[in-house]
This record gives sequence, structure tokens and C-alpha cells, in this order.
Amino acid sequence: MPMKCKVCDDSRGAKSTAGQRICTPVDTDAIGAMIKVTIDGRAVEVPMGTTILDAARMMGIRIPTLCYHDDLCISGVCRICVVEVEGMRTLQASCAFPITSPIKVHTHTRKVRQARRHILDLMLSKHYGECYSCVRNNNCELQSLAEEYGVDFYRFGHVDKPKTGRDNSSYAIVRDMDKCILCRRCVRTCVDLQEVGVFEAMGKGDRTEIGTFMDKPMIEEICINCGQCINRCPTGALHAKDPSDEIWAAIDDPKKHVVIQTAPAPRSAIGECFGLEPGHALTFEMNTALRYCGFDKVFDTNFSADLTIIEEGTELLLRLYRALVNKDPSAAVPQFTSCSPGWVKYIEHFYPEMLPHVSSAKSPQQMFGALIKTYYAQIHKIDPADIVTVALMPCTAKKFECNRPEMRDSGFKDVDYGLTTRELAQMMKETGIELTQMEKSDFDDPFGTATGSGVIFGATGGVMEAAIRTVYELVTGDFIENLFEKARVLPVRGFEGIRRAELPIEKVGPVPDLLKPLVPNWDWVKGVTLKVAVAHGTANAKKVLEDIKAGGPLSECHFIEFMACPGGCLGGGGMPIPTSEEIRAARARAIYQEDESSAVRKSHLNPAVTALYEKFLKEGPCGHKSHHLLHTEYTARGRKVV
Amino acid sequence: MQLVEREKLDKRIETLKQCYGNDRSALLPILQDLQAEYGLLTGLIMQETAHALGIHPVEVEGVATFYSFLRTDQKQGKYVIRLCRTISCDLAGKARVARQFENELGIRFGETTKDGLFTLEYTNCLGMCDQGPAVMINDRLFAKVTPQMVPQIIMDCRQDFLKTVFPEITPSDVQKEGPILKNALPFGEGLKKALTLSRSDVIATIREAGLKGRGGAGFPTATKWQLAGTAVSDTKYVVCNADEGEPGTFKDRYLLHAQTDLLLAGMTIAGYAIGAQKGYLYLRGEYLYLRKHLEKSIEKRRQSGLLGKDIQGKKGFSFDVELRLGAGAYICGEETALIESLEGQRGEPRNRPPFPVDTGFMGNPTIVNNVETFIDAAIICAKGPAWFAEYGTEKSKGTKLFSISGDCKKPGIYELPFGITVQELLEEVGGEDAKAVQIGGASGHCIPAPEFKRNIAFEDISSGGSIIVFGKNRDMLQVAKNFMEFFTEESCGQCTPCREGNIKILEGIELLEKGRCSTSYLNELIRLGETMQLASKCGLGQSSPNAFLSIVEHFKNEILGRVPEAV
Repeated sequence: MPMKCKVCDDSRGAKSTAGQRICTPVDTDAIGAMIKVTIDGRAVEVPMGTTILDAARMMGIRIPTLCYHDDLCISGVCRICVVEVEGMRTLQASCAFPITSPIKVHTHTRKVRQARRHILDLMLSKHYGECYSCVRNNNCELQSLAEEYGVDFYRFGHVDKPKTGRDNSSYAIVRDMDKCILCRRCVRTCVDLQEVGVFEAMGKGDRTEIGTFMDKPMIEEICINCGQCINRCPTGALHAKDPSDEIWAAIDDPKKHVVIQTAPAPRSAIGECFGLEPGHALTFEMNTALRYCGFDKVFDTNFSADLTIIEEGTELLLRLYRALVNKDPSAAVPQFTSCSPGWVKYIEHFYPEMLPHVSSAKSPQQMFGALIKTYYAQIHKIDPADIVTVALMPCTAKKFECNRPEMRDSGFKDVDYGLTTRELAQMMKETGIELTQMEKSDFDDPFGTATGSGVIFGATGGVMEAAIRTVYELVTGDFIENLFEKARVLPVRGFEGIRRAELPIEKVGPVPDLLKPLVPNWDWVKGVTLKVAVAHGTANAKKVLEDIKAGGPLSECHFIEFMACPGGCLGGGGMPIPTSEEIRAARARAIYQEDESSAVRKSHLNPAVTALYEKFLKEGPCGHKSHHLLHTEYTARGRKVV
Repeated sequence: MQLVEREKLDKRIETLKQCYGNDRSALLPILQDLQAEYGLLTGLIMQETAHALGIHPVEVEGVATFYSFLRTDQKQGKYVIRLCRTISCDLAGKARVARQFENELGIRFGETTKDGLFTLEYTNCLGMCDQGPAVMINDRLFAKVTPQMVPQIIMDCRQDFLKTVFPEITPSDVQKEGPILKNALPFGEGLKKALTLSRSDVIATIREAGLKGRGGAGFPTATKWQLAGTAVSDTKYVVCNADEGEPGTFKDRYLLHAQTDLLLAGMTIAGYAIGAQKGYLYLRGEYLYLRKHLEKSIEKRRQSGLLGKDIQGKKGFSFDVELRLGAGAYICGEETALIESLEGQRGEPRNRPPFPVDTGFMGNPTIVNNVETFIDAAIICAKGPAWFAEYGTEKSKGTKLFSISGDCKKPGIYELPFGITVQELLEEVGGEDAKAVQIGGASGHCIPAPEFKRNIAFEDISSGGSIIVFGKNRDMLQVAKNFMEFFTEESCGQCTPCREGNIKILEGIELLEKGRCSTSYLNELIRLGETMQLASKCGLGQSSPNAFLSIVEHFKNEILGRVPEAV
């Protein structure tokens, strides 16, 4: 009976391409067939090949897990989820045991309880560190299990000295291997899910450890800083580099003018850090709370997301003009988005030869940073040297991005600190804020409240949807609503790894004023079917790039959105832990709701953006000044470590 | 300079790829060759190999650090002296040999001499248990090494073995031949009869003979072949598990050398029975010196039409065998770990189900059998099932090759029928003085004298053939310690109970040595042993505490309350 993994979809069967990361076998021959399973005396029918763990979850029976993660292929190594199956001599890992015959399972016999307690005690005997000085205090799977199983002493001893110490070298990710319990989720995340390959198990026996290539510090590794490993680490062994002490110091310094820009994804999830179910946006409560923390101004990154759409959309049209009309071979089509810094670093390392495809537009975070220290400083007559810009991001890669040497076009470091959702929640807790109880308040001028198009940047497909809304309207003069009900560009939404959409341009309108200096007319677009694609997670990005290189169907696209993280920003490495497809879907719902409740839902209709072009970027999109401040170039990094 | 080096290396890797293949399954042989050439797998070597095979450098390093014969930390000397530290060689006086090597070379184990000539390393079982202490230097073996021989051995190395006084391969003593060893068939005969039968009749013959896997687990061979035979797939594989790593067993080393032809015939018969075109002979790295002999034997069969296309004129039946070498990892004797290793991965056992007969090498149906099983299968096909079933017991038919070592007068290989009692066996080998016998190697059980009436058979004490005799003066705690050191190192390290449990038991033994272990903590360790038996992922973890548990059970009085000698 051929087996197929339900997670990685590996048709080869019980394992993915990468070694031990063995997947849940799902019997594809027997799809639809039901089989009876009895767990703790209760019988239920489940589809053939369902794991014991899944069956138990369906019945509301809790089985503890550690190495298991919804997003990852099955590993079956921690053994905490073992159960007793009648007729079998040994206990079975419920996460890795597919039910293919009518079995009887017991989840809490003496043997099971003893085994779980021993496994926990063994893990704790090597786990260095105290819970109260750990970033994952109160949100640690090991800690919760220790509590659940009543661990009140260290049966097999405990380490009292660190063995490895912390690796603080990366801008984004801190590794503290003294806390590692060898569940290998980070390995499966980095190698299987993201195809980056920073971590692997090294050595064997009691010397097994999770290592990086040649044991180099993170900063020297080929890491894209996506932080997906952090989101899936059950303990504090991997965490983000927290800038909150520096931010507090800036807030406390009366000379400093501290502004924060907030990206769309964090607002959809920060409530989770305050006990809310996923899927409740707290945008306006957060604004009040940020001011309460002491930030001088609170801006909406969606403003610069709208600006990105104008700049990147214009770049796309110019690129297509060069390619289609001028037949300029240097115009690399399809154009790739550039807002995800994890993705940008991925292509710099793994496909540097394809960098000409990447839009030169900076990410919204960096555009905003450059504008705050120029435009905003100018109109408010503040010395940009005294401005500290903080970016609230769902992302750990943003911490690296704001430290890129090329991101200093304002003459200063455009963005001083990248702060994650988790870190902001921590800062708020420190001030005693109960976020859910905060009054609502709006964003500050001069950037104001942005459009719904900016908001949806937070979900995979959002950039593409925003671009389609704007490009379609700018080119055809028609309303996008005539094509997609309520401007919902459904083909690019969802969580399928790679999605494609086609948009026939049947008629064209007059060139809007903003673009008049750039193109004479739209006649050349008439009759063109605009082909776009969306990919999220760098493993999917890799598939797209390989397809393009091979001249496959995706090479015919005009524009492709890439996000490094599964789910896009709402699955970012700086978002609340835990993560799963279900949680990401709930966050997406909050984001799309906010879009639909926005007064303006298209980037080109954002009045603050229009004002910016009138007052500051007078040459228009992709003009000289905007090129200086809002565009950048990339570094071909390659993938050689030695 | 760096650039030239890189280009040279890349070219070399390209050549190796043409030899071994373009995908990840070529990784281990490529690394082994590069290790031999460069003495060290540097970051550059691992990175370039990774990129050539389309994987991440960190994955290559993960593999390289898993196998003890591959080095990523320090360059090995021209002569790598590997001294076996497993139980039988330990009993035979390994410690004094080790001390003398250190004295002569002026380095400790794990180090390399400054001139880059010698590296001293411990290794686990070399399969020379009846002739220990054993030393392996590159691909040469030295048996019954005494401290006095050490300077001579080093001198031999310095003279590049030009005038060596020691013979190259030391054959094991066959102390007793039974029907299998006596009935070695003439070249080419093993296959003849089998290929006149239909595929299903071959399996029926094996079933009738009642052949069970000789590796130790005793799974019915016919059932395994049947499952793989009926699995729907165009590609299937036959794998011979010649990763004989169980401490105290060396009968496969003998068979690989002396019965190569029957082994290859058995693999071919299996290929015929299940519909496979390809077989892999996975030879443990410690048996590197058998490589040439095996390759020659394979080539000879190819030339004679016994491997390759349309074997023995049978249209449409093609089968070939490829030799693959392990690289020093006991766990690769576990069949799914072995498959992982063949695929170029860390040798870590897989979740079961699915089983290899269904989803094995490269996701295809695969049977993995022991060397002896294939040989038995070949003889059964030639001489008929009834002949085989005459020997042994109702549930354990046939004879078994036993590897006898330890405190007995006549160590070596014995072919004996299943069902023999421990007592009878001890009389046979001259081990009447024994106070305990370890049956089944490190993962087996320690049987104390009062239980010597028990039978060695699948239904009583199951075994892959390793028998280690402990004389009345042996310290059983030291025996347990040796086994736990072995498992602490040889655990693959993936699952918690085995990785962490073995070291806890070992630490417990060290407490017992010092006379500082309370009975309540000892009982906790016994319960931990039970957890390891129940909750570990694979057979290694599940059996790793066996020896400790049985020694604690039977020799409690000997191990508790010790007063350590003053140092």
C-alpha cells in the first residue's frame, strides 16, 4: 500500500527528502475507508491511516506532545506521546502510529505515566536554566508538561552550569543550546519547511546536539533570519534578539523623539499574548497603549505599504513597458516583490543570479524609516539625529533588514529598532497595560490611517491583491469591484503554497496624472493577460524559482509575490507562539475584516500618499528622490560559508 | 591557492559522483573516499559535496559527524590504530594493550602524533572476539595482541607493512561444523534449483523449511519475502545486512569470507522471489579488508552469468549486487537505520509502521536479511526444506552459527542445532566454570548459572549467535559498565529514552562502583530501564538496558555496597 505524507505531500511515502524527518503515512489506497479505534474505552471510526494522536484529538482526549508540530513532518523522537496499544509489547508514539487495523489504545496506564514522567525527568536533567529568567516563561511546552506531570524534584539530577552559552551573534536570532531538548523541530523547520538548512543534528549517542555548519555563529551561517525556528521551538532555546531595553532607554531620554510604526500583522495577533483567541484585531487599542508606553508618535506602516504599491506597481509597469514595447532584454520579467526581508536574503544567498527580477522598492518598514527621518523631520522641524524610529513587526528578519548598511539613505539609520509582536506585548505587560481594556485611538498625522490594501500586506497574497487593485484601476480606469465582488481578489487568497491568477486587460483608460511623465499611454497593455503568482514559505519560493529557471509555466508570469514565512507576515517569526495553520487562518480573518471595514481600500486612493507626492516626492513614483529614499539594491551573497 | 584547491576538489567530487550516483544515496561512499584521500572532512569538502548533490552543507556535516570513521574535527594520522574496547576484547586484556600503545606513541587515545603518522582510537567490536584483544590499523587486522607485540606493530607501520610479521586476515576458528557449513555447494549450484521453481514456490519452500531471520529477531523469512513480493511496485530491493556490530558476534565475518558465493546466491534467490532487480550488500566499515574479496566474488558471478541480465538463461530475470560500506555505527545494523544509511542519511531508525517490505530503500519495497539467513535460504532451495527442518526445534528450525568468546577454552564459531541448552553449549566450548553467559550480545540477556538449563531458541532465549562466557572471577558490574558505555556511545541519539537513559544508567553504575548508590535510586534506574525497553523508538533502545537489568537482578549482592580500593 503506497503511503503519502499528509504534511509534506511526499509521494515517495513515509519520509520527506530529508532523512529522519519521517512523515505521517497516509494510506492513499484506502482513502475513504473507515476503521474503528477504541481509545480509553471509547470507540470511534476514523479514516484509515489516521494517527492515534489525531484520533485522540478528535475525541477530545489529550495526549502530550513535544517533537510533534502541526506544520512539520512526523519525527517520533521525543516519545512523550507514547501510548499503550493492546497486543503490542512496546509503547507506541501516538504521533507516528497510523491506524490501519481496529486497535485498542490506552493513553494513561501505569507504563505510559511512568514513561512520560521518566522522559520529562531525562529532558530536565540536561536542560539548563531557570524558568524565571527565560523568555519563554509561562509559554514553554516543557514547563507546562513539567507542571502537568507534577514534576517536583529532579529525579535524575540537574545541570547547574551552562555548557554552551548563548550565541548572540545574529541580528535576529539568539541560540541558547543549554535549553535544547533535541526535539529537532528547528531542524525540520529549517531544512524541510524553509529549505534554508542552518540546523542539523550532529554527532550521535549522548553527544548528539543540534548544530550549525562547522559550528559557526549564526551571523556567519546562511540564515535568512525568518525566525520560523523560534516559532516552533518548544523551549527558550531559540528566541529573538530583544531590543526593548534600548527602546526603553530612548523613551526615557527626554531629548529623543521616539516614533513607532506598526505593521498590519502584529495587531491581528497581539491579543493572543493577552489571553484572546486568535483572530481579534486590536489596532486602535494598541495605538493608545503605545502612547501610554511613552512613544511620541504612532504611525501605521500601512501608509508605506500603500506607498510600496505605488512605487512597486509603477516599477512593474515600467518594467513591462521595457520588456514588451522596447524588447529590452535587461528588463527581467517576472518582477518579484521585495517586502519580505527573509525572502530577500533567501534569494541573495540561493539564487543571486535572479536578483534582477527583484523589485528595487524597499520594504514598507524601510520606506517609512527613510521618510520619518526626512519628510516628517522636515515638516515637524525635528533634528533627525534626535529621532528614534521603532518598527513593530511580525518579523525577526526585519531586525536584520534595518541593520543593512544600505538602509541609511536618510543619512541616518532609517529604522533604529525592529520590535516583534511578542516583545511589544512584553513591554506593555511591564507597564501594567491590559491591552484588551484600552480605549481606542487613531494613528498620528501626517501619515494618518491607511487603506485596506495596506492592511492585507499581512497575509500571504495581500501584496498581490493590493497591487492588482491599484494596477488594474490605474491602467483600465475601471473599478476592481466590477471584476471581483467587494474588491476581494479571491484567487490570490488562501494558504495553498503556490497560487496563480490571471487578469485579462481588455480595455485601457487614460494615464493618470501621477504616471504621465513615465508612460505615454496604456495601449501596449491592451489585450495582455496579466499573469501573477503568490508563494509563501521559502520551500515554495524555491519551487517557483526552479520552475522559472526550467522555463515552466511560472516563467510566463509578470509579477510574483514571495513571503519567506508560511502564511505570510501573520505567520512571521516575531508573532505570538504557538503557530499553526488554524491560528494563521484566524489571524488572516482578522486582517481581511479590517480591510473591509476600512473607508479607503485601494493604495492609490490614500490621501496621505497623494499628499506625499505633491509635497515631497515631487517627481512622482520612481522619480529621482523616491529612488534615493525608497529604492535600494541587493547583494549577491551566494551560499558558500567556507 | 584556495581557488585551485577548490577546483581540484570539485573535479574530484564530480568523478566520485560518476562512480556512485548523482543523488544523496551517493553521499556516504563519496565521503568515505574523500576521508581516505584527505584524512579529514573539512568544511570546504563538506560544502562542495553538499552543493554537488543538491543538499545543504549542514546535512553533510550531520552525516559526517554521525559515523565514527568519518572525521570532521582533526586530521587523522597516516595510520589509524583502532583498538577494540568491546566486552570480549576487554575481557582479553585490552586495557594493558591500550596503555602500551599510549606509552610507545606518547599520545592518548583520541589523539594524533605530532608527525601526523599515528592516530589512536578506540573502536567498538571488530568482530575478532574469539581472538582479542584486536587492533585494526587502516584495513589491516591484528589479533591476540599483547603489550609485548605493540612496539613490533608500530614498527611494521613505520615500514609501511613491507616486512610485516603478522598475517593479513586472521581467519576465525571454526570449532564445529554442522550441516550448513559441511554442505557448502559447488560454485553456481546454489542458484540452479531455485530458478527452476516459480517465485511463489521459492517462498513456499522457505516457509516449509521454517527459516527465521538469523540476525536475532527471528522474523519468519518467508513472510517477509511474501510481503515484499506482493507489494505493488516496479522497483524493489534486496539488502544484505552485513553490519555485524553486535558485540561478541563474528560469524558473519567468517561467512562473508568463506561462503561468499552462497551468500550472493541467496540474495539472488531473494531478488527472484520478490521481484527485485537490485541488491545492496551493506558491509560494516570495520570489515573494510573484506571489500576486495567481495568485489571480486561479485565480479566473478557477473562474468559467469550468475548476476546481471537473464541470469542462468532465465529470460527477464535480472539482478545485480552493489557493495556499500558502513562507516562505524552499530545502529546501522537496525534495518531501517541501515536503509537510512544507504540513502546517505544519518543512520537513525525510522518509525515503524510503515515497514521496509512496504516502504524501504528510496520508498520502495525492500527486504533486509542477515548474511546467514541468505546462506540458509540458498542451501534450503538446493537441498529441500525437509532436510533443513530436520534440525532444531518445532519453533526454531535448522541450525545456528554461534560466535563464542570470553572465558572458555575453545572460543570460535560453532554450528549447533537450535534448542541446545546453555549448559550443553558450555560443555561444548569448555566453559564449565562460567558464572554467567551473555547471550545475544550487548543487547541480549545475561543468563546466570542457575538458568543454564534454558534453551537457546527463538521460543526461549533468542539470539543472533553472540555468546560471551563470564568466568567465576569476573566482576559483573564491570561487564554491565562496558555494555552501558557501548550503548551510550552507539545510541543514534534521536529518541529521549535511549539517548539520555543509557547515560543515566552508566552514571548509576559509576555510583555503584564507588559504593554510593542507594537501593531506592537503583530501583529508580531499574524502572528507567523498563521505560527504555517500552518507550524507545527502535530495538536498540528497547534492548539497551537488558544486560544491566539482568545483571542487577542476578548479582545484586555482588554490586551493592562496594568499598572502592584506595587510589
